[in-house]
Amino acid sequence: MGQITATWNKTMKEFLRQKTVLFWTIGWPIIWVLIGSFSFTSNVPSEALSYTRGAISISMMVFALMTAGMANLPGNIAQDRERGLLTKVMSMPVSPWRDFTGRILALLAFSGFSVMLVISVGLVCGARFFFTGIDFMESLAFIILIFVGSAGIGMLIGTFVKQVHGAIMSGVGLTVVSAALSGVMTPYQYLPSVLQNFARIYPISSANSAITYLLVGEEYAGYNPLSAGQTVPTALVALLLFILGLITYSRLCWKKD
Amino acid sequence: MDAIHAENLSKKYGDNEVLKGVNLRIAEGEFYALMGPNGSGKTTLSSIIASVRSPSSGKIEIYGKKPEKAKKLVGYLPQENFSSPLLTGKENLMYFAGLLGYSKGEAVKIVEGLLKKVGLWEEANKRVYHYSGGMRKRLEVATILFPGLKLLIMDEPTTGLDPSARRKFLGLIQELRNEATTILLITHIGADADLASRVGLMDKGSIIAEDRPERLKKNSGLENVVNIETSIKNERVASLLSKFSEKLNVLETETGYRVFTEDVEEATPKIVRGLDEIGCKVIRIETAKPSLEDVFFKLTETKVREVD
Repeated sequence: MGQITATWNKTMKEFLRQKTVLFWTIGWPIIWVLIGSFSFTSNVPSEALSYTRGAISISMMVFALMTAGMANLPGNIAQDRERGLLTKVMSMPVSPWRDFTGRILALLAFSGFSVMLVISVGLVCGARFFFTGIDFMESLAFIILIFVGSAGIGMLIGTFVKQVHGAIMSGVGLTVVSAALSGVMTPYQYLPSVLQNFARIYPISSANSAITYLLVGEEYAGYNPLSAGQTVPTALVALLLFILGLITYSRLCWKKD
Repeated sequence: MDAIHAENLSKKYGDNEVLKGVNLRIAEGEFYALMGPNGSGKTTLSSIIASVRSPSSGKIEIYGKKPEKAKKLVGYLPQENFSSPLLTGKENLMYFAGLLGYSKGEAVKIVEGLLKKVGLWEEANKRVYHYSGGMRKRLEVATILFPGLKLLIMDEPTTGLDPSARRKFLGLIQELRNEATTILLITHIGADADLASRVGLMDKGSIIAEDRPERLKKNSGLENVVNIETSIKNERVASLLSKFSEKLNVLETETGYRVFTEDVEEATPKIVRGLDEIGCKVIRIETAKPSLEDVFFKLTETKVREVD
């Protein structure tokens, strides 16, 4: 059992045993899948209903990924620092990179678990998707980009916001506000043009649009997010956020006074 | 070989010099207590030894190596409760076993032994959230008892423990002492420091005295102490008692005062009468030998511990 496995085990158990983490990452998106599927679809023509529900499920899946990366991860980092665990671990022959890898793998597993639950509830509520094997693989790549971008932002929050509640609230706040402003929770077509521009730059919302485009169709995405001019910056910004978060975490959180 | 060898160690935060040229040698197998009030630099010194902080200047070696190269030999118990309340006692220790690189099979055996050693085997599968303060501290002590750790650094481990938990904890430290492990105990409690083979008194970033506990007391020049539990504590009572304290001011304690006098038999009835005259009831009065806290007070005119 190495350091990565030990950190993975600990972090995963902490995620699964915290009721607030479970509620905000799994419960809340599922509630919105239920509300969205049955209350907000009364004016939708019956032939489009199942795909509208599909689009709602995708948005809530993205919201779950955002909460996991931007709120749960920094909450976990801040908690370990606040209670002195990070000090204890720093006194041991532990590599920051292994600690980081363990945390990220746990977050990936937990995020994967929440994605499956949210999409399963969506399917039970009547959501339908049309896709080929390639579409599915491409969607998976965009899901990973959302995870990577959110985790990068989460590591930045966890490094700079020292208090647990501060870190969690900053993460939740950023998730809700950025999801609302970037078209994750509001249809892209209804956004003012300035926010439409933001939605295209913000890697999480552009990846959300790409998944929606691939799995339920262009009319639900609002634009074509799969052009090279759109996908390359999406991938680059998401990776940049992750690398920035990684360097900041390993340099500053583990820095000796 | 010395377990710890520090020479002229300093630590500055801006203009604030927390450690001022500390020299410290602790031999292998020694039980050394570093005693001083909050803010005296004890925690900073211990965290430099544990490689959690870096010194601003000076030299430090742990078993002849730089602290960051000696991490495999050092078990550090920080002041805070660092165990995860969401995990069970066993899961917490399995996490640390993993960080130390033990295979799962080895870890299971070692963790079982450690939980038995700290008396938590029965509670091993309960989440730490349900542990008392004493149980949690014992669990955390187990994290520095993994095989191969030769130097144990404990930063104020008995703070916040009730008397019973504290006694159990000190019993555990005694057992460790018998195993010839090097122990560095950071404390502000004289009775805890009394268990050590050598005590360093620390004040304002320097070690101001260092010796065996009994020699520190003997060399302090303090003969006897009258320990008085009073019904009230105020300036008037302290002022009256200071007339009987020949060598030193009176020391305020949690329940009353400590008066330092040479002739206890003569002073005691006078103290009782004097207090009675100003309307202060004596609940308990007893003579005692000076403690390490008294020695610290004698040397610095400041208290190691604040009282309410």
